[in-house]
This record gives sequence, C-alpha cells and structure tokens, in this order.
Amino acid sequence: MAFLLQQLLEASAERSPRAIAVQARGRSLTYAELRARASQLAHLLRERGVVRGDRVGLLFPKSVESVIAMLGVLQAGAVYVPLDPHAPARRVVGITENCGLRALITSADRLAMLGELAVETVVLVSGEPRSAREIAWTALDVQPTTPPPQLGIEGDLAYILYTSGSTGQPKGVMLTHRNALTFVDWCVSTFQLRAEDRLSNHAPLHFDLSVLDVYGALAVGATVSMVPEDVAVFPGRLATWIEEQAITVWYSVPSALVYLLLHGELGTRHLDHLRLVLFAGEVFPMKYLRQLADVLPSVDLYNLYGPTETNVCTYHRVDRFRLAGQERLPIGRACENTETLALDAEGRPVGSGETGELFVRGPSVTPGYWGDPAKTQRALVPNALQPQLGERLYRTGDLVTLDEHGEYLFLGRRDNQVKSRGYRIELGDIEAALYAHPAVQEAAVIAIPDVELGSRLRGFVALRGGETLTAATLQQHCARIVPRYMVPEAIELRSSLPKTSTGKTDRTKLAAEAEA
Amino acid sequence: MDRDTRPIRAFIVERLAPATGRTQLHDDEDLIDTGVVDSLGIFQLVAFLEERFGIAIADGEITPDNFGTIARIEQLVASRGR
Repeated sequence: MAFLLQQLLEASAERSPRAIAVQARGRSLTYAELRARASQLAHLLRERGVVRGDRVGLLFPKSVESVIAMLGVLQAGAVYVPLDPHAPARRVVGITENCGLRALITSADRLAMLGELAVETVVLVSGEPRSAREIAWTALDVQPTTPPPQLGIEGDLAYILYTSGSTGQPKGVMLTHRNALTFVDWCVSTFQLRAEDRLSNHAPLHFDLSVLDVYGALAVGATVSMVPEDVAVFPGRLATWIEEQAITVWYSVPSALVYLLLHGELGTRHLDHLRLVLFAGEVFPMKYLRQLADVLPSVDLYNLYGPTETNVCTYHRVDRFRLAGQERLPIGRACENTETLALDAEGRPVGSGETGELFVRGPSVTPGYWGDPAKTQRALVPNALQPQLGERLYRTGDLVTLDEHGEYLFLGRRDNQVKSRGYRIELGDIEAALYAHPAVQEAAVIAIPDVELGSRLRGFVALRGGETLTAATLQQHCARIVPRYMVPEAIELRSSLPKTSTGKTDRTKLAAEAEA
Repeated sequence: MDRDTRPIRAFIVERLAPATGRTQLHDDEDLIDTGVVDSLGIFQLVAFLEERFGIAIADGEITPDNFGTIARIEQLVASRGR
C-alpha cells in the first residue's frame, strides 16, 4: 500500500528491479533504471530550487522520458502538469502562466516554438541548451540514483490536468495523490492487475486515461507500453503494434476502438494475450460495440465513466448476453470507493426512470480548479441532503437515469460541453477563439453527432461589414489558439446567424441545417 | 504520371493544414510528425482521394509509406493511373 504515487515505483523496484517498467519507441527501462533515472531528475530539480508544491510542466512527445519525468517530479515533492505536445504555443504559454510553472521539461525544438516564457528552469529531453536556464538531459548523469528524502502527504497535489473551459480559458483540474491512488487501488483490485500484464498507453498524457495505464502498471510491477503518436494514426500499424507488444490490457476512448475495428482488420489479428479492454470518455455506439464483442470473444469489456474531476466514478462490465437487446450501454454503478447521486433541479434524489444530474462524492474527487475559487465553488457544491457531513459533491453536468438493473444510463449534458474522439470540448472555448479575430461579428460552433467520432465540429461565422476572409484563414486563426481537435472541420460564412425570439443565436436551427 | 495531382496538395494545404496553424508545406515534409495528418485527417484524406480520383484505397494501403508526405500520396495516386 502507498499514500504517495511514487511509492508504487519504490515498492515495485524493490520487488522486481529487472522487470520492464516502461516501453516506448523501441526503448525500454527496467524498474531499477526507472527508479534511478527518476531519482536523478528529482535531485536535479531540487538543486534548481524546485520545492514541495511547485508546478513542473511536461511538453514532449511520448517516450520513456515521459514516465521518468512524471515520477521524477513527484519524487521532488512537486506537481506535474502534462501539456498537449500539439497544442498551439499561445495555449501552452497561457497554461504556463495560469499555474505559474516553476520548471518545464521539454525539447529544444518545442521550446523554440514557444517564444517568450516566464519559467526559471528548462530541462531538455533532447537538443542542446542555449541559455543559462536550460539544462541538457545528460546533466542527470551526475546526480544520485536513489530518491531524495521523501516529503509530502496524500493530500498534496500530484498533477494538474488542463481541460477546455467554456469562456476560452482552459481550467486546471487539480488532483492529489489520494485522488489518484483511490482510483489506482480500485483498478488493481477490480481488474486484477498483475506483474505479467502489459498495459497499453494510447491516450495522451494530459488525458486522465493515462493514469490507469502508467500507475496501474507501476502498482503491480507490470509493463506499460506507450503507443507512438505516428503508429496511432494508421489503424493497420496500431493493430499490428497491439499484436507485437502482446498487450493484455487496452484502455482508450471508444473512437480509437471503432477505428481499429473498422480499419485495422482486428478480426484477423492474433490477440490471444489480450484479456481486458477498457474504454471511457464518450458513448460507445452499440452497433460497433456488438461487433467488437464478436471479434474479441474471450476479452472482458468494461465501460468506465467519469469526468477528469473524479477520474472514473462509475463502471459497467459489458454483459454479452444483454448486449443484443440493449439500446444504450449503461455507465453502470458507482466504483466501490465512491458515492454517486442523481438529483433533480431541486436537489432531490430521482426515482427509477426519472432524469437527474449526476453528483459524485468520495476520495477520488478533485479539490478544485487551480487558481479559480469561483469555478471551484460552482462545481463542488454543499451536500444539501446530508449537510451535517460538511462535505461537498462534485456536480458533473451529466444527465442520467437509473435503468431496471439499478445502473446509470447517460442521457446527455445540461450545457454546451461535447465530446469528440473522447476529448472534452466546451463549444464556448472555440467560439471565444473565433471572436478573437477582429473581422468576426458573430460566431457559433455546433457539434454534429457522428457515430464513429462522437461528434464533428462545424463553425458558423458572420463577418463585420466590408470584411472578406476565407474559412481556411479562420481555421488557421483558431489553430493558433485552441488545440487541433477543437478546430472546426468546416466553417461556413454567412451574412448573419439565425436568431431565436429572445435574440440569441438559434443553435437548434443551425444544428438542423448542419445535419441536413 | 498523366494525372493532375495538384488537387491533393490543395486539399492538404487548405483542408488539413489549417488546423495545425500551417500555411505552407514542402512535398517531402512529414505529414504525421507535423500533425497535419492525424487519425481523423487520414480518413478525410482517403475519402477525398477516392472520390476525386475514382480509386479505391484498401485499409491495408493506409500506411506511412503511402501517406507520410505529399510526394508519397501523389505517387500512390499516380500508380493507379489510367
């Protein structure tokens, strides 16, 4: 048992120092090597003045260094902030300023693209230092290979995950060691993770699915194998990779599985090692789930549900006998160490068949958003049902109902948040990016449901009088502000946008036109 | 090569590259590393090629060898000449 994430590595390195901890791009590290390298990074960061609670950003493509960096930062007592390697410079710089990064671990190439950056220390995983604040990765070599004296408690932050915010400012979800370990312990026990397992890591590191892959493996002395970004683009290569890596536990968004199913010739692969397929982040289209279940007859399939603020809070084991008759897949029941409530608008628990909003309570729930007490207060609300407990509930914004088996069904959102390829997107975040262009008079972004991707984004823009712009120019403009998965696939220019009787943009009308 | 492959470059530069903030691409630039072609873009691209050039591209042909750069995509399409 552990109360800090890095203790998982300590224990596994002691038990099985020669076992492979992490693999990526043809390279691998044993538990002893990972512990030694992470310790060296921790010492280097401490030497550079990084102290307990400081934030350290990670900005480079997935590699064995990713896991070294995560653990090294934790061993230093600090908090890591995984940043999207494909995010535009402006967004990365914004996050850097928002959480006041003390140090950044990145590559020389990526650093050059960021421009001005108020960070004291930059550790380069590749490339040569060009100023006094930059340190080469080889500087780790001279540092001690055992961890610095442990400091910190389970309530300390372990990492901050930035997610789309409705007003155009990404919000940093803070997660403590206790939050993460609550989830990791639950995974180890529920999925019977063991040292022989080989877990894939398909999700980006700024996505909380990665927490299961990395720490689930470290907890039991198993191997986590990271899917290289270029492999993930080609479904055939990705399927071959799963075969060659002898993956036993796969975890991804449903759209990645649908992609493999439809284009990766999954049915012809030798996937005898695979015992568990987990998915989360969006709704799995039933048609494809049934096909997947047929292609993987002896694999256990689980639907995991939960926003970043709670990691996973409910789960459902796919029942092959019920699958044929199910119209939608349940998100299931609360994890054993978590409590959930479906409440109506007045805060009363809803009965079976009624619609309510899902609220979550327990040790996996975030303490809030970095530097944003107002947003934290709106998301973490007093428990009106049991005020004497003095605890807050996380309000998910997800509408659910209970089915006849006592499992939750997800019905939709009560706001403008959508999912595309599992990414959580606030439409207002994209609209704010469009409005940032001086020629834009009116803007609306509509999510069009898509069976393979969750949704596709379509923009509608009216320009100021006399302005002429092409849709491609506006897409390029958006790409400088929001990550690629948030740039509308198409932008339609109009003389004006339709209005409702109250003068608001008529989103329903736009959605109907977009789908026609 | 008797087929006009300019529309391929135009599609990539106008439809896929904008989402990465890029306005220009060399024929031999790596479309995957630059993020111009990602897991969504690859199928938009395949659908475009199939429709525009009246060819069929099998899943097994969707590889880095055929789709890694603009030049390679042009070669793939040209090899389906006639």
